[in-house]
Amino acid sequence: MKGADTGRRIEVEVEPSQLRERLRRALEEGYDHFIGINVVDYPRAGVMEVYYFVESVQRGGELLVVKLRVPRENPALDSVSDIYPLAEYQEIEGHEFFGLDFRGNGSLRKWILDENWEGPPPLRKDVDTRKFVLETYYGGQRYERPKQEKSLQEVVE
Amino acid sequence: MRKLQVFLGPQHPGAPGNVAFLLTLDGERILDVDLIPGFLHRGFEKMMEYRRWDMDLVMSARICVEDPDHVELSYTHAMDQIFGVDPPERAKYARTIVAEFSRLASHLLWMMHFAGPVAARYATSWAIAAREEVLKWFDYVAGHRIYHHYIYPGGVRWNLPKDLKERTLQVLDRVEGLVRDMERGFFLHPVFQRRARDVGRLKASDAVRLGATGPVLRGSGVAHDIRKALKYDAYGMVDFEIPKGEYGDAYDRAMVRLREMYVSIGIIRQAVQQIPEEGPYRWRLPMALPPGEGVGRVESARGEFMTHIVSTTEKPGGRPLEPYRIKFRGPTMAHLTTVLKHIVHNEEITVADFPVVVGSLDPCPPDIDR
Amino acid sequence: MVLKLLGLGFRYLLRRPYTRLYPYKEPPFTTERTRARHLLYMDRCIGCRACQLACPADAIKMYKIEGEWPKNRLKIFPGVDYSRCTYCGLCVEACPTSALVMTDYTMEHLITEDKSTTLYTPEMLAEPPKGEHRVTFTKDLLKPPPQPPPKKGGGG
Ligand code: SF4
Ligand code: SF4
Repeated sequence: MKGADTGRRIEVEVEPSQLRERLRRALEEGYDHFIGINVVDYPRAGVMEVYYFVESVQRGGELLVVKLRVPRENPALDSVSDIYPLAEYQEIEGHEFFGLDFRGNGSLRKWILDENWEGPPPLRKDVDTRKFVLETYYGGQRYERPKQEKSLQEVVE
Repeated sequence: MRKLQVFLGPQHPGAPGNVAFLLTLDGERILDVDLIPGFLHRGFEKMMEYRRWDMDLVMSARICVEDPDHVELSYTHAMDQIFGVDPPERAKYARTIVAEFSRLASHLLWMMHFAGPVAARYATSWAIAAREEVLKWFDYVAGHRIYHHYIYPGGVRWNLPKDLKERTLQVLDRVEGLVRDMERGFFLHPVFQRRARDVGRLKASDAVRLGATGPVLRGSGVAHDIRKALKYDAYGMVDFEIPKGEYGDAYDRAMVRLREMYVSIGIIRQAVQQIPEEGPYRWRLPMALPPGEGVGRVESARGEFMTHIVSTTEKPGGRPLEPYRIKFRGPTMAHLTTVLKHIVHNEEITVADFPVVVGSLDPCPPDIDR
Repeated sequence: MVLKLLGLGFRYLLRRPYTRLYPYKEPPFTTERTRARHLLYMDRCIGCRACQLACPADAIKMYKIEGEWPKNRLKIFPGVDYSRCTYCGLCVEACPTSALVMTDYTMEHLITEDKSTTLYTPEMLAEPPKGEHRVTFTKDLLKPPPQPPPKKGGGG
């Protein structure tokens, strides 16, 4: 346990293959409330860290963080949507923003980004969204505000 | 049986905010509902990776428009952990007061959203009148009505005004009067009771399993509240109860929110009495962000809000100013996906009831999209 | 029940409306701390760009103003694009010389029909707003200035 105040948590690190087993055990131990999935991308190390946050309502909001690493090239891991129903939607989020493949989740699709984004998974660290948007959607032109009579001075940026 | 698919929203009065639903209908009964988010996706998580941590605070408030202070609070908690500071005593009380006012403002806005579809237009304007008082209070303390940027890593941004106690108590008296009138004129009104009773039932075990938080969870009879469980900021020092419902229907959830307004008023009353008169209000933090990890969990007006911040030395440009990754987890995603699906699958919900069900879940779609 | 509710309704009927008759009868509501339009003291500005770097909305750009500026050798001053500004006040906090302050001349006053006039150059910012206003947000609000935190072991 570390951290102050609201950051109190128990962290465990597992192999991707043990994930389902560990979370099922967590459910039996009383961690019945699924909070969310976070993904952190480390392109230099070539891995993505996936965090599962589960909480125990019976034990006064105790937080368990299950952490695992998947390779960046083939980011596939098992879906836990049958253990925690909410995970289904959090997994869709991980899929569209990071390109993770959750085996066994039948509804992986573009959801939040549907019709808004045609490109690589945007939250990956090596995707420069600003450049991509400029090139793809604005034809390489930055948006500039209309010229104003009163401000014809030289802009130094 | 002929199934009909109808696209509801994002402008529907029963679907507050920018979210749409795809309803599968059999006659008037809703068989299935699919959420269509993304109308308010602004890519905050990516934008924040490009910006300094103090600018990120300004951005974080925009994630949930109706309840900005709790987003800031959870961001601030995570940042405090990364910097390894404990805010000064005065700031803890100030944060509690501001957060409770934010909850009050958010619940009042929910009243407006909820009373509209139930066709009680008078309650709508009363709620907005009461909220106006709260917004004026925010203007007086934090300098703005909606986005305050008052809660700040290391404390609060600037000192509380000198006449805080008198002014706050005055505002609370006025708000409480209006809320009492609303209780008599709207919540206890037989028409409203008939409209919302037994609509959208959610059992306690299902609520926990599906990931519901906040008033939705408590309306089902589970007395779980992060304020009580973790006792962050000054919540350990004030005395309050957690209201909870019995049946878990729309009416119970509404009543939980009503009683939470009284609880909030009570908490603020105690906090302004107990707040230390003197003392620092904010620690000065260094500009450079140390590597570390922080998890900030707070009980927002809609449920549990979590911010997870990772800061590493592995920065692309080598600037130690931006956080490496920020993740926000809002309460709305669970309410509009799993919970809503569960209700629709297990109960006969007609299109006319749908706004009541969605309204009683108090969604804030921006925190799905971010 | 019905009579009681009618009574309640009548009480509200007799009350003064909550809405303000803006802009013809009353100005918008402001307080001592309202953050709104900036005011730039050009003689204090040293052209350090701290305000530009602090702005989360990229609203500030630096403009070159010719003239005699003993403190400002580069002769650059900030101009604010009000179609972007979020009125957060981080620029005021960042300014080392208190050259940039905020007034309570709110965005309701700044409303314009012509989108291209929302850019305020340094000279326009240096001119006090035309209507009634007071200087609200200066660095004085941060008094006493924040202290460094007490040392303690551990931490996240
Ligand atoms: S108030 Fe905020 S958004 Fe506006 S110019 Fe200053 S830093 Fe930028
Ligand atoms: S206004 Fe202040 S922060 Fe901005 S350039 Fe001038 S001195 Fe620097």
